[in-house]
Amino acid sequence: MAGMELVSDQGYRIDGRKPSELRRIRCNMGVFTQADGSAYIEQGNTKVLAAIYGPHEASNNMRNRVCLDRGFVNCEFSQATFSSAERKKRSRGDRKGRDISAHIKQTFEAAIRTSLYPRSQIDIYLQVLHSDGSLYCACVNAATLALIDAGIAMKDYVCACSASLTKGSSLIDINHVEELAGCAEFSASILPKLDQIIYSELNGRIHQDELGLLVDAVSTGCRDIFAVIDQFVRSRLAETASYFTHS
Amino acid sequence: VMCDQTMCIPGERLCSSEQYQAGRGTYVRHGSVFATLAGRVERRKESGDNLLLIHVQSVHSQQLVPEIGAIVICKITQLSSSYAKCKILSVRGSYLNTSFRGMIRKEDVRSTNRDKVEIYKSFRPGDVVVAKVLSLGDASCYLLSTAENELGVVIALSENGDAMIPLSHDQMQCPKSLIKENRKVARPQSDYLSF
Amino acid sequence: MAKVILGDSEKWFIIHGIQDDLRNDGRSCDDYRHIEVETGVISNTHGSSRLRLGNTEVMVGVKVELGTPDPHSPNDGLIHFHVDCSPNADPSFQGRGGEELSSNISCILTRIFNNKTAIDLSTLGIIPHKQCWVVHVDVLILECGGNLFDAVSVAVKASLHNTGIPNIQVTDGDEGTQEISLPDDPNDVKFINTNNCPLLVTISKAGSRHIVDATADEESCCNASLVVGVTRRGRTMGMRKMGEGSLDPESIPEMIETGKNIGRQLHIALDKLLKVEQGMANDIEKVGYL
Repeated sequence: MAGMELVSDQGYRIDGRKPSELRRIRCNMGVFTQADGSAYIEQGNTKVLAAIYGPHEASNNMRNRVCLDRGFVNCEFSQATFSSAERKKRSRGDRKGRDISAHIKQTFEAAIRTSLYPRSQIDIYLQVLHSDGSLYCACVNAATLALIDAGIAMKDYVCACSASLTKGSSLIDINHVEELAGCAEFSASILPKLDQIIYSELNGRIHQDELGLLVDAVSTGCRDIFAVIDQFVRSRLAETASYFTHS
Repeated sequence: VMCDQTMCIPGERLCSSEQYQAGRGTYVRHGSVFATLAGRVERRKESGDNLLLIHVQSVHSQQLVPEIGAIVICKITQLSSSYAKCKILSVRGSYLNTSFRGMIRKEDVRSTNRDKVEIYKSFRPGDVVVAKVLSLGDASCYLLSTAENELGVVIALSENGDAMIPLSHDQMQCPKSLIKENRKVARPQSDYLSF
Repeated sequence: MAKVILGDSEKWFIIHGIQDDLRNDGRSCDDYRHIEVETGVISNTHGSSRLRLGNTEVMVGVKVELGTPDPHSPNDGLIHFHVDCSPNADPSFQGRGGEELSSNISCILTRIFNNKTAIDLSTLGIIPHKQCWVVHVDVLILECGGNLFDAVSVAVKASLHNTGIPNIQVTDGDEGTQEISLPDDPNDVKFINTNNCPLLVTISKAGSRHIVDATADEESCCNASLVVGVTRRGRTMGMRKMGEGSLDPESIPEMIETGKNIGRQLHIALDKLLKVEQGMANDIEKVGYL
């Protein structure tokens, strides 16, 4: 894929987007009945389901992770064997899966008010149905919605977005093809209303001066994602609340 | 209760912490009260406080965890000479999807004659008990107490499997066999058992 | 599977209801719950489907790839089943927790499809001994609300029906070798014939009667059940007794008979739906989880 033009001379990307344009986001909350909270998000072709169980008493194999003064987050990331272009042999437990699980756990331990749930465990399960780049980001956004659905106290929303750098300009919400191009990739999670970065990761090599550009691009992207999610949550809230007032 | 129709989402700034006292579903940061849940904002006058309490009522079902001082309903699972172990089934009147482990130590069974308490004469496995959370305990279970008149056994089956009727603070009777059994019987109060 | 723990009186209530042909959700013993099926939901696959049966949620993705045929049947293609239980369905599936259930389901699928008539595997052959199509059917279990086997089999049939295999050109190359070329147009495909594709019907014994499509609550009251593979014409293709309880030999033919009837009806309903959906092709927007 090296040498491929990520942005055309006219300023459009391979899938026809502008460099600072997100893919279409569609989401839903409460898609499952058995989990304590669940959500679904689509960012372009990347489709992720999230389920939350808990807070509950620590399961037997997690006993050593119990904290007396706060709750802990247990996260597992699974990717359906049919989700990627090439069929995967294993759906979870591979290096990439463990990596993403660890990052999501870290992200949400910073965002959940864990001190309200002493000695408890909160499970975040993520299932990728279709993977087309920015998996970590879609997972974080799905988990945020699922945590809201589960009624778990959070400091703020968590919104995540990725960005890449080509020829000195930034591209946000990168898809699978753009990931393959091998440019530097930066992803971050922010608390949009408190304006704090709680997770950031950079793969690849960039010039130090360009980092600011990427951080700006990602924060703008996160804010745009926040606007979409916020609108959805508010309309759902109003809908749910209207059942209470009429009955 | 003042309940305006404003909705909030996690992280939303609700007001200054000088204006209102932060209640459930909120937290204070840099002198402002922020929401932690998605739900309805309620402002309430608490007796004795001059500040109004602001809290957020989630519209989504919420999993509760036992907290210190909360009234819980539990079922006795295991007895020993010094403690009774139990499963916590509900907290503050709301049913839990998954139970938490709890323990009632011998010294927390009653408030009087503490040194004469015998666990076997207070509980039996399968009894349903109303208790109060004393502390978060050690890593494996919550410490509970029944050392109040309103706390103790509320449902118990006799050896034949019939629901027994309370006779006094320490006895229950099987309506069929008329056998009396010893229990730490609760005098349930409506504030303690609200469903 | 989400463990349902019922008290004795709850169990008796359910069993007595079944005895009177009135179940907790108002169905009679032979009624199925509402089924929601959608095909072509994942564009990364050659065929896919999503199914919701009560609270049971299943997703199936089919991918075909080129491979070498089995030496015992050099002219045929291959079909593999793989089942994955997502921890979204139950926290106990985390890590390797769901493997027992997964292998259980994939075994029974392999068994009912391991039959010359179920899917004509010779249509998947390309060059004998050298090249054939390998069909990977990947089942993802997203929520367990009872009757998982039937749900999986319906979703598998729907996804296979939706699976397009690229029309391949075999040309004779130099020195007796054969070369294959894939079509340029991704829509140049032939669909798998699913006319004889079996469906599983689980018949659970509760008290002296048997029920189909048991919910999770009902499953915890029934300790013996029979899983039967049934074709569209009502032929049985494999059978398995499940659960720790025992069955009276006389009740087995009766249960199989019920299974065949229900299976036939299920096939008719599903075929009708798939036909309608195929007719609408790309005009409709997929609902998915939105």
